[in-house]
Amino acid sequence: MDTLVFAGASVVKIAMVMGVVLLTVAFLTLAERKVLSWMQDRMGPMEVGPYGILQPVADGLKLFFKEDIIPAGANWLLFSLAPILSFVPALIGFAVIPYGPNQAIEVFGVTVKPFVISDINIGILYILAFTSIGAYGVILGGWASNNKYSLLGGLRAAAQVISYELNIGLAIVGVVILSGSLSMVRIAEGQAGGFWHWYLFGGLQIVAFVVYVISAVAETNRLPFDLPEAESELVAGWMTEYSGMRFAFFFLAEYANMILVSCIAAVLFLGGWHAPTPQPLVVYLGWPHLAWIEGVLWFMVKVYFFIFMFFWIRATLPRLRYDQLMRFGWKVMLPLALANVMVTSIVVYLLRD
Amino acid sequence: MPAVAQWVKTLTFYEILIGMKATFSVFFHRIILRDRRAVTLQYPHEKRDLPGTYRGMIALLRYDDGTDKCVGCDLCEAACPSRVITVISAEVEGEPMKRFAKEYYMDMTRCLFCGLCVDACPVDALAMTKEYEWAVYNKRDLRLDKDQLLAIGDRNFPEREKKIEHQHHNVATFNIGYKNFPPKTS
Repeated sequence: MDTLVFAGASVVKIAMVMGVVLLTVAFLTLAERKVLSWMQDRMGPMEVGPYGILQPVADGLKLFFKEDIIPAGANWLLFSLAPILSFVPALIGFAVIPYGPNQAIEVFGVTVKPFVISDINIGILYILAFTSIGAYGVILGGWASNNKYSLLGGLRAAAQVISYELNIGLAIVGVVILSGSLSMVRIAEGQAGGFWHWYLFGGLQIVAFVVYVISAVAETNRLPFDLPEAESELVAGWMTEYSGMRFAFFFLAEYANMILVSCIAAVLFLGGWHAPTPQPLVVYLGWPHLAWIEGVLWFMVKVYFFIFMFFWIRATLPRLRYDQLMRFGWKVMLPLALANVMVTSIVVYLLRD
Repeated sequence: MPAVAQWVKTLTFYEILIGMKATFSVFFHRIILRDRRAVTLQYPHEKRDLPGTYRGMIALLRYDDGTDKCVGCDLCEAACPSRVITVISAEVEGEPMKRFAKEYYMDMTRCLFCGLCVDACPVDALAMTKEYEWAVYNKRDLRLDKDQLLAIGDRNFPEREKKIEHQHHNVATFNIGYKNFPPKTS
């Protein structure tokens, strides 16, 4: 019975998170176009629904009914596998993200933590592992398409994702040293009590934060690091030969990855669900039982701030050249991240009690 | 010192932040202050005001009594640099001095809207309208005959020029009084 309730609660949580994430992804496509156009003196989508609100629905319907083409000479199996390989890892990472306070509630005698799907003790490693698998989708998609542009896009993605994932891993190490845990929940709990306790400010992980944000932009293949799908050079990069729902899967994966790296940044550096004040604001107002709502809202604000920054950077910066990208990753970001790991570990060693 | 300043600028992403400030200020003025507008024109819903000299679709005109202005002189055909115009001229039955265009074709797929035919016309039978929405599914639909060209003229120039008969009506006329040039209404 207990197992059944636990499984039921987990399924409900998974369904909720999947629904919210996919809905957010759908409307992020609209939000991105709107924000970009507002920054560039344009209007963005205006035709479907009032102010283009229903554009994601129209896009989804169009992609759903489009012809699904597999080019002649393509490797059928890998061509079909690639979108799934990049879509599933992007969604699976959300399993370990804490969306709100880590408080337990009782459902039919079983304690359930409503805002964490699963609190595994290697959460951050789990996410890193699965985002690495996501890179296979891009590379295989580029290789299986039997198209030179796709292949070039896939090659670029391989080099870029591998080199920048290294930086992400090293940038995270500083936070892991400070919190002493790989569990996302424990890392977020270590930052309670005001913004000066967040690892970005309290742990002085500013270098790691900058390295992480830049590498996250590169890892999700977004401007100014969107070399794998550089429109002006490679048609659409590894997605050139994809159409219909397969293309939609790549597209969803890109935006889901964006949300995922934003969630990780919010949890690792900005305190997850914690308010910038020592106690949640509602506690000062005298409604401590509403703290969980505020926690979820703070988490959302942080995540959407990062997502807005993705759009903002995209509206501002032009694309890097390929050698600049690799040089920046290996010769600037990697030493910085390594230096941060060294300094953090020395300081933590000296200041340990 | 400049080297140090350069290093500080690099380390603080100074140039990137300047650029991001520029984009954000546009965003802020558009969304928060609302004192900046998009340059976009929502085309099918709102259209530009075209200048008076706009050279759009070419039309054939009529006099106020409904007769063609065109006298079938072929000068437009000669003036056209793209060989758009085909005029098949004919006499009015029983009036050998009076000619008209029996058939008049314009292949608008080739037209470059230079307006040389309008300039060449001695009787002001051709005019350029401000129509530009002439996308069609079949490009053969763009080979316009005389009736279609007259229809374009009718709907764009409802006020027609008055026909003045200053010669015997059997004689082909150019509607140009050397001295008393009738005032143009359209």
